[in-house]
Amino acid sequence: MEIPLSALKKGESGIITSILSASRRGRGGSWGFKKRLMDMGLTPGTEITVTKIAPFGGPIEICVRGSRLALGRGMAERILVRIKREWLRS
Amino acid sequence: MVKKLTIALAGNANVGKSVIFNQLTGLHQHIGNWPGKTVEKAEGTLHFRGYEIDVIDLPGIYSLSTFSLEELISREYIALERPDLVINVVDASVLERNLFFTLQLIELGAPMVIALNQVDVAERKGIKVDHEKLSRLLGVPVVPTIAIRGLGIYRLLEVAVETIEKGEVRPRQILYGREVEERIEKLARLVAKVGFKYPARWTAIKLLEGDREVEEAIRKLDPTIISIKEKLAREIEEIHGHPCSTVITSERYEVANRIAEEVQQITPIAKPSLSERLDALTSHRLLGYPIMVVTLLAIFYSIFAFGDYVSTILSDFLYGFEPLFKSVLGEGLLEELIWGGIIEGLISGVTIALPYIVPFYFLLYVLEDSGYLSRIAFLMDVVMHKIGLHGKAFIPVMLAYGCNVPACLGCRIMETERERLLAGFVVTLIPCAATTVVILGLVGKFVGIEWALLLYIVDLAIVFALGRAAFKSLPGEPIGLLMEMHDYKLPHMKTVVNQTWFRLSEFIKIAFPFIVLSSLVIKSIELVGLLEPVSTLLSLVTVNWLGLRPEMGVSLVFGILRKELTLIMLATLLKTTDFGSVLTPVQMMVFALVTMLYIPCIATIAACVKEFGFKKAFFITVFEIAFAILAGGVAFRLLSLLNIP
Ligand SMILES: Nc1nc2c(ncn2[C@@H]2O[C@H](COP(=O)(O)OP(=O)(O)O)[C@@H](O)[C@H]2O)c(=O)[nH]1
Ligand SMILES: [Mg+2]
Repeated sequence: MEIPLSALKKGESGIITSILSASRRGRGGSWGFKKRLMDMGLTPGTEITVTKIAPFGGPIEICVRGSRLALGRGMAERILVRIKREWLRS
Repeated sequence: MVKKLTIALAGNANVGKSVIFNQLTGLHQHIGNWPGKTVEKAEGTLHFRGYEIDVIDLPGIYSLSTFSLEELISREYIALERPDLVINVVDASVLERNLFFTLQLIELGAPMVIALNQVDVAERKGIKVDHEKLSRLLGVPVVPTIAIRGLGIYRLLEVAVETIEKGEVRPRQILYGREVEERIEKLARLVAKVGFKYPARWTAIKLLEGDREVEEAIRKLDPTIISIKEKLAREIEEIHGHPCSTVITSERYEVANRIAEEVQQITPIAKPSLSERLDALTSHRLLGYPIMVVTLLAIFYSIFAFGDYVSTILSDFLYGFEPLFKSVLGEGLLEELIWGGIIEGLISGVTIALPYIVPFYFLLYVLEDSGYLSRIAFLMDVVMHKIGLHGKAFIPVMLAYGCNVPACLGCRIMETERERLLAGFVVTLIPCAATTVVILGLVGKFVGIEWALLLYIVDLAIVFALGRAAFKSLPGEPIGLLMEMHDYKLPHMKTVVNQTWFRLSEFIKIAFPFIVLSSLVIKSIELVGLLEPVSTLLSLVTVNWLGLRPEMGVSLVFGILRKELTLIMLATLLKTTDFGSVLTPVQMMVFALVTMLYIPCIATIAACVKEFGFKKAFFITVFEIAFAILAGGVAFRLLSLLNIP
């Protein structure tokens, strides 16, 4: 199942499937936006874990590739992830 | 003759470049701007084994693509100026992300040595890195360091010099998937023919990644390459089902990931470290906010208390020279001009700059290097979003409550031109420490502290509304927050002191000439006897529209110099400091409101010119004067309706 990263709860993990373009207006904005996320290591297939969620619709913090990133909520909404299925009872 | 070498430090942000720079270069340092740019460049020299080595601290970067100015400058510098060696500083505790950058440096063909820094932090997180294996895999010398304690720095220097002496470092190029690799080679052959300034393979990769800067440059040389590139990129996209740039970045990260897994050994640590516990507390969704407010208030309070104390001592001391000076020059026009214009201007600069700005910068760098500033940005992101900015913009806003000048310069941390300008505009509307003195000394003292508080609230609302209006009217898309959250770390004192010193000298260079010059001009106007006519002219606005007394217009003019002068001049012109006896509460409120809004002081205007150019600075200034007059007039009419005690 594909859901936006912003829908994950604290402590949940997912695997990035795709990143939606930032804007409908022109290519420029979207190039910079996607590129920036990619360069920070948010490439398709990467596993991420939500480590913190700021209140009032604020940014979220994720753990990716061994480091932590803060992401604005708007950006998190455009990152689609597949939830990692649990395969052992905790 | 001494042989000269140039070594550049490059790496992600917060890996320890500045600390290594300071460890290497000691006292011989200076900081300047890259020609024509607002990005800084720190340069220092050292002598080692008969060489005079110039060390350059390149601005921090996440990857070498043209997203921001820093990145562009760094790669231009490395590829075109060709330093003898690049020391790639790598944070061992976040190896994978750092290696992504290293791989790009290798593609750029830079001769390099890796400083594997922060091995202590990595160890605390249970990460052990096999630096010999890393060196073998990459074909690059690797020296483990703990910069903050100076460990490994000497060895790093030795290896760096030996590497330069040997010449020919052959880092191993990374390979992409076959279908990508074939197309890179094809494109590289074409690029090689037109003779581009960057290495052909690197250029080909950048073209396929969709790098604008490179694309434009190549288009000028040979537009057919671009159309071929587009065809190749489309083919890759079809094979992989992802855009070509995504494919290349993913594959590069894959290599970084493989190398990191090969060389590091991770043993999970059971107990959360102090740094982690601090992090959980300071960015906690509820507790984070009160902790932030208390921390910031404590910092501002201590800066004020310290500044006030030192400022009084300094100004008593400096004014102590006045009789001596007068006895030498005698009383007269010249003496008035030199003392009242130039020297008093200097004294006021000194008594403000040193006592307030120094601790201010110092604490700021402690906050920044420790990692707390990014927590603040994280917490404030929501609020800043309302005016189209993201969390990082709160940092210049916070600075502005101290002084608008560093705040303006601090807007550099924003990613794009648009963001910088927007932040700069908001920042100049914020009442600085000097304005606070006026508000508290006038309204707080003679009308009531609750009215002073009201002024602050109104001001905040105005800043918010204007910020939002500017955000809506500036073309372009807002940019979201994307920031690495580094672990809390102990700042390196010498680096903090150095940064404070650099900032102070920058402040002096920008602000002092203006403070002295305008002090001189205003003194001249006073001596020539132009104050009366000026005051009459101004009273059209000040008296008729704002309902103030004529003297108050002149003191507002003095406020251009430094905001707290409005109050000092007011006392001089009204011939009393008991403002309550000569001014009505409404007049005091309107006067304070106008002072808050009407113009950033001359030093701030200078800083704006430096950062945003003359035209934008001029526009901001004129707009704010007009707006303040408008707001003051409205406030006068509204307040007159109320009955203020
Ligand atoms: N524990 C530890 N901290 C370090 C080390 N090197 C740098 N730091 C800290 O990491 C932070 C960032 O360093 P800085 O030199 O400003 O990074 P830059 O952005 O690359 O210039 C500072 O707080 C330093 O004190 C190290 O080897 N060990
Ligand atoms: Mg630095």
